[in-house]
Amino acid sequence: MDEIKKGNLFSIAGLENVRISIGEIVEEEKEWEPMGPHPMPRIATLRDWDFKLLNRYKPFYAPVCDMCCLCTYGKCDLTGNKKGACGIRMDAQQGRIVLLACLVGCSAHCGHGRHLLHDMIKKFGRDVPIDFGPEVDIEAPLTRLVCGIKPKTIGDYDKVFSYIEEQIVQLADALHTGQEGSYMDFESKALHMGMLDSLNKEAADIIQIACYGMPTSLPGGGPDVPLVDVGIGTIDTNKPVIIVIGHNVPPAADIGVYLTENELDDKVELGGICCTSIDTTRVYKKAKIASALGRQLRVIRAGIADVIVIDEQCIRADILELCQKVHSPLIATNDKAMHGLVDRTDDDPDKIVDDLVSGRVPGVVILEPDQVGEVAVRTALQMDKKRRSLKFILSDDEFKYYVNDCILCGGCTLACPAGLHIGEANQSAATGSIKPLADLFDLCVGCGRCEQVCKKHIPIVDVITKAAYPQLKEEKGRMRIGRGPIWDSEIREVGAPLVLGTIPGIIAPIGCGNYPNGTKDAWLIVKEFAERNYIVTLTGCMAIDCALWKDEEGKTLYEQHHGGFGGGGVLNIGSCVSNAHIHDAAIKVASIFAGRNLRGNYEEIADYILTRVGACGVAWGAMSQKAASIASGFNRLGVPAVVGPHSAKYRRAFLGRADLKEDWKLIDATDGSEVYVEPGPQHLLVACETVEEALPMMAKLCFRPSDTDRGRSGKLTHYIDLNLKYLNTYPPDWHLFVRTASDIPIATRNALLKKLEDEHGWEIDWKMKKIKEGPIRGYDPSFNPTNLERLIRGKK
Amino acid sequence: MEIPFDVANIPGPEMGEVVSPEVIGSYISNAERPLLVVGSEILRDDFFIKIAIEIGKKGIPIAATGHSIRGFVGTEYADNVMYYNLHDLTNCLRDPNWAGLDGKGNYDFVIFFGILYYYASQMLSCIKNFATDPLIRAVSIDRYYHPNARMSFTNITPRREEEYRDMLKRLVKSIRGRQK
Ligand code: SF4
Ligand code: SF4
Ligand code: SF4
Repeated sequence: MDEIKKGNLFSIAGLENVRISIGEIVEEEKEWEPMGPHPMPRIATLRDWDFKLLNRYKPFYAPVCDMCCLCTYGKCDLTGNKKGACGIRMDAQQGRIVLLACLVGCSAHCGHGRHLLHDMIKKFGRDVPIDFGPEVDIEAPLTRLVCGIKPKTIGDYDKVFSYIEEQIVQLADALHTGQEGSYMDFESKALHMGMLDSLNKEAADIIQIACYGMPTSLPGGGPDVPLVDVGIGTIDTNKPVIIVIGHNVPPAADIGVYLTENELDDKVELGGICCTSIDTTRVYKKAKIASALGRQLRVIRAGIADVIVIDEQCIRADILELCQKVHSPLIATNDKAMHGLVDRTDDDPDKIVDDLVSGRVPGVVILEPDQVGEVAVRTALQMDKKRRSLKFILSDDEFKYYVNDCILCGGCTLACPAGLHIGEANQSAATGSIKPLADLFDLCVGCGRCEQVCKKHIPIVDVITKAAYPQLKEEKGRMRIGRGPIWDSEIREVGAPLVLGTIPGIIAPIGCGNYPNGTKDAWLIVKEFAERNYIVTLTGCMAIDCALWKDEEGKTLYEQHHGGFGGGGVLNIGSCVSNAHIHDAAIKVASIFAGRNLRGNYEEIADYILTRVGACGVAWGAMSQKAASIASGFNRLGVPAVVGPHSAKYRRAFLGRADLKEDWKLIDATDGSEVYVEPGPQHLLVACETVEEALPMMAKLCFRPSDTDRGRSGKLTHYIDLNLKYLNTYPPDWHLFVRTASDIPIATRNALLKKLEDEHGWEIDWKMKKIKEGPIRGYDPSFNPTNLERLIRGKK
Repeated sequence: MEIPFDVANIPGPEMGEVVSPEVIGSYISNAERPLLVVGSEILRDDFFIKIAIEIGKKGIPIAATGHSIRGFVGTEYADNVMYYNLHDLTNCLRDPNWAGLDGKGNYDFVIFFGILYYYASQMLSCIKNFATDPLIRAVSIDRYYHPNARMSFTNITPRREEEYRDMLKRLVKSIRGRQK
């Protein structure tokens, strides 16, 4: 209100919107919870919280480019933290680029969500109820938390998106030359963008769940969702094949409807790549998941698709060219990715199909999802006949020719983002052993950069695919379909064990497939933590990739482990937008287990999660701008994330300094006293070089200052054990997490107490088996940790 | 111009110089507080662990990043090597007040060895851009040209592996031993 008095026109315009919506909310929502302090926060509203995080987890920058070329003053050389002509320093410029990445990522989810809302309102009306069955009372934790709204129908999401859209524009404004100059403020804005992104995702998933009846807590949902086929080998190429690619499910859903209504569901294969495929399996039972993002180029090149349908995000920009090479007609269904094709929305399906099948056009745009099914299916049926005799996998002779033609120049290796030694593998294939070449298949991220530089014009991707073809045909996994929200009843069951630490933590593998060492790492991460009784919640490409690998009995991890939100569970939550339910689970712990109010109360809940909920995300192959905004959203909510080595190219990390005592000062909310705690979680965003390093790091980032001694001893057991297993040694910092003897696992207590005495100089009372001196702090079961002064209940 | 190992990795006006092992050896010898940072790629052959240990024995402390620490466990040198996450370590290096592995302060010369190329490149970029006062020189002794390093070897293909191993031996030879 103050800002209106100041007469700042710009602020008035911004504030008016907020006032109107708050007015509506207060009017409509009297019945559920008192409004918290921060409904629909603006850029600066949660800045204090951000600065608390950023002062502990200082932004770390590793520029990818030492220059800036965003305005005509430039290019400017910022090397060595120099300033550009506009006065911006290298560190702020890095924050700016991070904000830009988050802007793009957040806009993708927001654009997707808004698009979905338009389509769904058109199809089903505004009044589709948001009701996820008897087990899910808190239907939209992030919407409640950020907006102060309890959405009742999908129409309520109009105002949620309006809020997000306004904030995105304000944040984008800050990127202009001559705006923000502080890297801390750029990061606060990036965190704000991340929070908006998490809200986007929740909104999008809730809308599609509500409209399509995707699994929730009704029978057959939650832990009991069915399994589906995953892998290129599961696609039956004896039938016409439709491949859908992207993230926005309505066109694919329409294909499913058309197949079912025309009794073609056993006659035509509907498979997908990336998140659309995950969401298609939530609406159409017979859908299959051909692959995650990393196999996109190779699935298309393999020529298995009689038609390819794209919607939005993570589609190759050269998709049309690729489709043309294998005679797969392309149907683009989203105005954000039209690839130069003619818009044939509302045109006669007979004509469109005829044009596609005859090859008169390589593809079409159809922007009405409900018109896609018929065209895609009829085209596939006819193309199947035309394409049946075509072969796209190299013949033995072609393969031999190419591997022999390689001159070992090494150009491909320099072009390859993974630095793969392709020439040497070619040489080995030429002299009899194709294994090195076949082994490259899973390490290759399928980008195609190598082929462009090969002086001998060797189709390297095809050569690798040919070498790996026998194993590729056998790539047949199983995974649970995306289950969506975690049930309130499940939270009630695990709330205490999670906060008290007897379930050691939640591990959330999410995101893209730009792995440093192939898909097997995704499997190993899930296996290692599920077997240790962590709750493993997956979304997106990692959910798919981990299902490609099996144990000796031929079972995937989804088949070995239950799908409930409890210790040892392996849960496919769903597509990228579904990963909001992982935020939601943490938020619900605070609400259901600890009775904290959610409404407009982001800061308090984030503080709760940071100090109490031992959750750690892992985006081992993070690639996209969406992954940048997703991670920022997790981070602002107090959830740390481990990323793979490619993610060092995101430029920024949030790293805590275990050696700086002052950084680890918390408040005991009970009496306001200051307490120096152990560094838990030590980092908010950190890259590891290899999976062997990442596994113990994830266990470490599950420590929380609120752990009980029993909980701490469980976490410590896994932290030490994973270090011994993968690094062959004790972690150098394990002692920092010991507060009292009972924090140490009983089985190894004596030996570890001895190590504390010998190696760290701690004083041990051996008679009482107690620690007399050494730890950062003692264990106080009544400690009520917070970072927020306003939560202090009474003064000492 | 030298081609970066990842060909598009051209950071800007300041690109590292390609130098011989002896030049790097002499810089290491003259540095006040050098630090060897090794990564998981040294595990590809015991030879590289031995090289790291030989450098260590010249009085240069070793930070083992990734899961490279495995290579030192069980060797006679195990106690002199400390695990560090590379992000965490680089974050410390950019702080002039960091106490170092031994509590005696930060370093002035950092040698990267056996670290995954693109991760190493980013950390070298951080050091180049932000560890400037006092200046930390970071160099690479990997078989890649690293433009973000102050000094680096050239790209060495697997065919020239023996040549690379010789370069490492020459490097070790050229480092003057110091008191630990
Ligand atoms: S925005 Fe600033 S740093 Fe970038 S080119 Fe313009 S003047 Fe230079
Ligand atoms: S397609 Fe595979 S082998 Fe070729 S450059 Fe990309 S990752 Fe490397
Ligand atoms: S670029 Fe072509 S010729 Fe050169 S090594 Fe690679 S595959 Fe062989």
